Amino acid sequence: MTKTAEHTELREEVSLDRPWVTLVWDDPVNLMSYVAYVFRSYFGVTPKHAERLMLQVHNNGRAVVATGNRESMERHVEAMHGYGLWATLAKAEE
Amino acid sequence: MRWFAMQESGVLLGHFEPVEADLLGLAITQLLEMLNAGSADPELAASDAVFARLLPDAYRDDDEAAAEFRRFTAPGLLERKAQNAQIVRDSLGVSETSEADATGPGAASASGANPDTDTNTDDRQPITIPLDPDTVQAWLRSLTDLRLTLADRLQISPDGDVHLTTEDMPFLRELYEWLGMLQEELVYVIDV
Repeated sequence: MTKTAEHTELREEVSLDRPWVTLVWDDPVNLMSYVAYVFRSYFGVTPKHAERLMLQVHNNGRAVVATGNRESMERHVEAMHGYGLWATLAKAEE
Repeated sequence: MRWFAMQESGVLLGHFEPVEADLLGLAITQLLEMLNAGSADPELAASDAVFARLLPDAYRDDDEAAAEFRRFTAPGLLERKAQNAQIVRDSLGVSETSEADATGPGAASASGANPDTDTNTDDRQPITIPLDPDTVQAWLRSLTDLRLTLADRLQISPDGDVHLTTEDMPFLRELYEWLGMLQEELVYVIDV
C-alpha cells in the first residue's frame, strides 16, 4: 500500500479497490438468441450460463456480465457496443 | 433452414432469392452510407438518435466520463461497423461478378455445385453465397446494426410497439422483421 497523508488520495485509493462491473441492458430490438450467443462467444461462458445471463437481462432489465477493473470493463463495454448490445459500466454496488 | 446452411466442409452457405439479395444489398448500402456520414461528421452523429443507439453512453450517471469514452471509442466503433457493412455488401455481390472472386478454397466447389450462382439475367435464379467465419461475424453485427437503425426509424418503444405512422411503416416493419428472422436463423446455424 502507498503511504500517504493526503486524505483525498487515500479515499481514491480505497475507491480504486472497489471493482467495476459491465452491465447489459434489455432493449426491444436484440433477439434473445443473439444476446445469448454474444455472451457465449465473447465471454466464453457455457451455453447454460449465457442463457441465464440473457434471461436476467430480459426479465430484470439488466444483468452484470463482468466484474473487474475499470479499464477492462471499458474494453468489454466497447466490445458489447460493437455487437450492438446496450452496455454500460459502473462501480460495483457495495 | 431457409436461408443458411452449414455444409459438412464447415463452409456456411447463404441462399437468397434475387429480390431478397437486392433488398438486403439496398439496406446494407444505406447503413454503410449512414455510418460513413457519421464518421465524417461527428456533430451529425451526435444529433441523430440512431447513433445514440448504435453507440450508447457507457456511463449512465457520469456525463463527463460518457463523453470521454465516446471520444475514444466512437471513431473505431463506427469504422468497424462500416467495415462489417462493407463485408456484407461485398459478400452479396460475389455471385454477380464471377466465381473467381469467391473467397476461400471451399467457395469454388460450392459455386461449382450450384450452376445458378453465376446467373444474372432477367430470369434470375436464387443465389448461393459462401460465408467464412469472419464474414458471418460481419453479417451478425450488421444485421443487428440494421435492426437497431430501423427500430429507431420505426420509433419502436421499449415495450416493442411501433409508433411510426407514415406510409413507409408497413414496408419498414416487414423489413425489420425479416432481418430478425435472418439473424435468428444465422445464430441457430452457427450455434455449436
